[in-house]
Amino acid sequence: MKLVQRLLAGWTGFVLLFFYLPIAVLILFSFNESRLNIVWTGFTLDWYRSLWTDTVLVRALKNSLIVAVATTALSLLLGTTGAWLLYRYRYRAASLLETLAFLPMIVPEVILGVSLLILFVTIGLQLGYTTIVISHVTFCFPFVMAAVQARLAGLDPALEEAALDLGATPLQAFTKVLIPYLMPAIVSGGLMSFTLSLDELIVTYFTASAGTRTLPLEIFGRVKKGLDPSLNAISTVFIVFTVFALLATEVVRRRNP
Amino acid sequence: MQAQAAPAPAAAASQRQPGRAGWLLLAPLILWSFAFVVAPAALMLVYSFAHRGALGGVDFSLGLTLENFAGVFDPVYLQIVIRSIWYAAITTAICLAMGYPVAYLIGRASEKWRNALLMTVMVPFWTSFLIRTYAWVTILKSQGLLNSLAIQFGLITEPFEMLYTPGAVVLGLVYTFLPFMILPIYSSVEKLEGSLVEAALDLGAGPVRAFSRVIVPLTAPGIAAGVLLVFVPALGIYAVNDIMGGGRVDMIGNIIENQFKTARNWPFGAALGTTLLFAFAVIYWWVNRRARQVEGGGASVRPGIT
Amino acid sequence: MIRSMARSLVALAMALGLAGRVGAEELNLFAWSEYVPQTVLDGFTKETGIQVNYETYASNEEMLAKLVSGAASYDLIQPSEYVIEALVKENGLVPLDHAKLPNLKNIGKEYWDQPHDPELKYSVPYMQGTVGIVINTDKVKDPITGYGDVFQDKYKGRIVILDDSLEIVTWAMAMNGHGPDQVTKANLEQAKPILVKWLPLVKVYDSDSPKTALLNGDVDLGVVWSGEAAILIKEAPGKFKYVLPKEGAHMFIDNLAIPKGAPHVDAAHKFIDYILRPDVSRKISEEFPYTNPNIEARKLLTPEERANEASYPPGNPKLSTFRDIGPLAADVDKMVTDLKAKSGP
Repeated sequence: MKLVQRLLAGWTGFVLLFFYLPIAVLILFSFNESRLNIVWTGFTLDWYRSLWTDTVLVRALKNSLIVAVATTALSLLLGTTGAWLLYRYRYRAASLLETLAFLPMIVPEVILGVSLLILFVTIGLQLGYTTIVISHVTFCFPFVMAAVQARLAGLDPALEEAALDLGATPLQAFTKVLIPYLMPAIVSGGLMSFTLSLDELIVTYFTASAGTRTLPLEIFGRVKKGLDPSLNAISTVFIVFTVFALLATEVVRRRNP
Repeated sequence: MQAQAAPAPAAAASQRQPGRAGWLLLAPLILWSFAFVVAPAALMLVYSFAHRGALGGVDFSLGLTLENFAGVFDPVYLQIVIRSIWYAAITTAICLAMGYPVAYLIGRASEKWRNALLMTVMVPFWTSFLIRTYAWVTILKSQGLLNSLAIQFGLITEPFEMLYTPGAVVLGLVYTFLPFMILPIYSSVEKLEGSLVEAALDLGAGPVRAFSRVIVPLTAPGIAAGVLLVFVPALGIYAVNDIMGGGRVDMIGNIIENQFKTARNWPFGAALGTTLLFAFAVIYWWVNRRARQVEGGGASVRPGIT
Repeated sequence: MIRSMARSLVALAMALGLAGRVGAEELNLFAWSEYVPQTVLDGFTKETGIQVNYETYASNEEMLAKLVSGAASYDLIQPSEYVIEALVKENGLVPLDHAKLPNLKNIGKEYWDQPHDPELKYSVPYMQGTVGIVINTDKVKDPITGYGDVFQDKYKGRIVILDDSLEIVTWAMAMNGHGPDQVTKANLEQAKPILVKWLPLVKVYDSDSPKTALLNGDVDLGVVWSGEAAILIKEAPGKFKYVLPKEGAHMFIDNLAIPKGAPHVDAAHKFIDYILRPDVSRKISEEFPYTNPNIEARKLLTPEERANEASYPPGNPKLSTFRDIGPLAADVDKMVTDLKAKSGP
């Protein structure tokens, strides 16, 4: 089906173009002379230079990354085990539990933020990394759970049984058969968690402290004064760094098959 | 139309009764849900019966009231609820149409390409949402990229108003949510056995039938997950539509946010949130339960498998 | 050996004791984003050794939401005048000790007598501004003197206004001769038909960055914060004009105040006095071209800054501050939400 393949590739290319168009503009405008960053006025590298001294912004990026990584790890743990347990065992309250798990997706962020803040204040938990990560995990892990559940649907149970028959312990069956099988869903869910956490604003506003401000908080704070191109610059730096990291891992992977 | 090409119901047979281990392992999830989901939701519910506080917050000194819930069903807000559902539905449909082929291609790609392609899809969304959206403003505005190019190439003589329109809002929404449709569908496609697809084609089915009768049902769990992960969050959206629509396309998310801000009417915001939550919970729980019953208590609880 | 050990232990204890006190010398500042320049904060820390923890918010109500939820104890907040009024009513502020604020005398006379805090018992003005009309003179040639001139059919789809229901409603009320301190159900009803006529003419509602649509040329005129207009005037000299509506304009005053329960009241006073110094206040004006209530600081401004008509509107315009309208805020929000939805796409 060469034609189908070509059509699919063409369409994917178009969608990727769609995804990257504003990114191209974002990168272009990181060289914009105008502080207001609304209209292009000229080329400059000043904003990249300013990143050296803008410790606030760089620290915010660092905080965002710390939170996103921790959130993703916890969400993967909670979401994957939750999905698998609900698949494996016939709990009477299964539907109820699933509904509960997916509730944070529908609760408006401002309400989630306020209620979690009140909860933390009530139990005396100080605002900081912990509270931010808890709030992020709460609405991220449903994404992981949904992805893993979808992948589990249609899993041939014979697979696991075969492994057990062939002498594997239940743990081995889990790690050597199930996890590899679930990997695409885990990657899927993990990517969604990471992305959601990285750019989260409202809930973070309510659960962060002065020392744990994340990048979105910093960026949104600068709207009134004008989103100057240093924000574009830091985003560009991050993208470039990520792309390089990915390319590097690919190169390493292909060297060691 | 029911197409069951995969041995899905067999899963039901192997579901075990949870022993102590089963419940113990599930404990963290239950505890987390109770602490950080049920508690906030309960708080929200309680707040919906309160009076508004003078500085925001709530005031219980005057007792409880039902006026907040009465307010929810006011036509002023119902028109906005309907609009939100409409936009969320359109967004989901477009995301599905646009995203499925991409998910299919990535899922069927060779192993060495798959993860790289996924990353390529996600990387744009690791930039700040605000800057991305303002980039769209730069692209779509009257003196922006698209208009300038179109005028250059003589396609139009006057700038075409793309920004601050419902179309711009939909574009912004689709842009925001498309990856969350692609990713779940991808992992469903990935497990498709090439042989199955080939077999369908060999047995005389044209590509369209092979697609609709074989591939789509097999990837139904992924589709259902994608729809859930796009439609539900889209209902609560407030920022994209605010910027792309010029603040003229208020959705239920904006209304609720307003209650916690300028209106300083938390109980009403809580009532709106509770109603939204309740509606979702009931629908989801019922569909879920039905799916489970049809499967005979099977694992595949995604609507669409039935 | 024992002696040197004992000595180091004593030194350690002293250091810890001191550290305990130095560690307690912090200031929790909860203010508008980008309203307090980092240089000002650094200068304060250098002089006093007090570490400033700066948390930000983007609107008064956002601040109240976090404050009311019982979050971290803040030492300083930066509410607008009508919020000060509400906080005072609810006993939410610590009275200021004027003896600790010698620089308070730098604040202009007219600020000592405002309805929200006469005699400045609880708050100190930080920056003042207005809400007025900004015009792209390249596109709009007719004279614009008030709201009535802005909301004309010929400008349909070329107008940007703040996305603030209370603001919008007071402009309509001004057309009927009602001031912002006369928000009542009756006056709101009277203002409604005016809004029904006005809102379909609006292209963009934006409280965060109305300058964007104006600079992009997607709109030609609007009713925005004076700070936004000042930025536009600075960015594109000669292109934009700022006019205070003759029917009456909103003057807002952002203030520093100490919320009840603040752990570092003394440090808070020190910070306020520091801000009141002319040279420090002048630095703030440099970054944020609002109207500086500090008369001594104004003397230090450059001629260009003083000439910026958005920062320092000439003449004797009709200005009023907002009052706390309590539960009517919900009615206002509902009315504007409804009319917006009905007039929108």
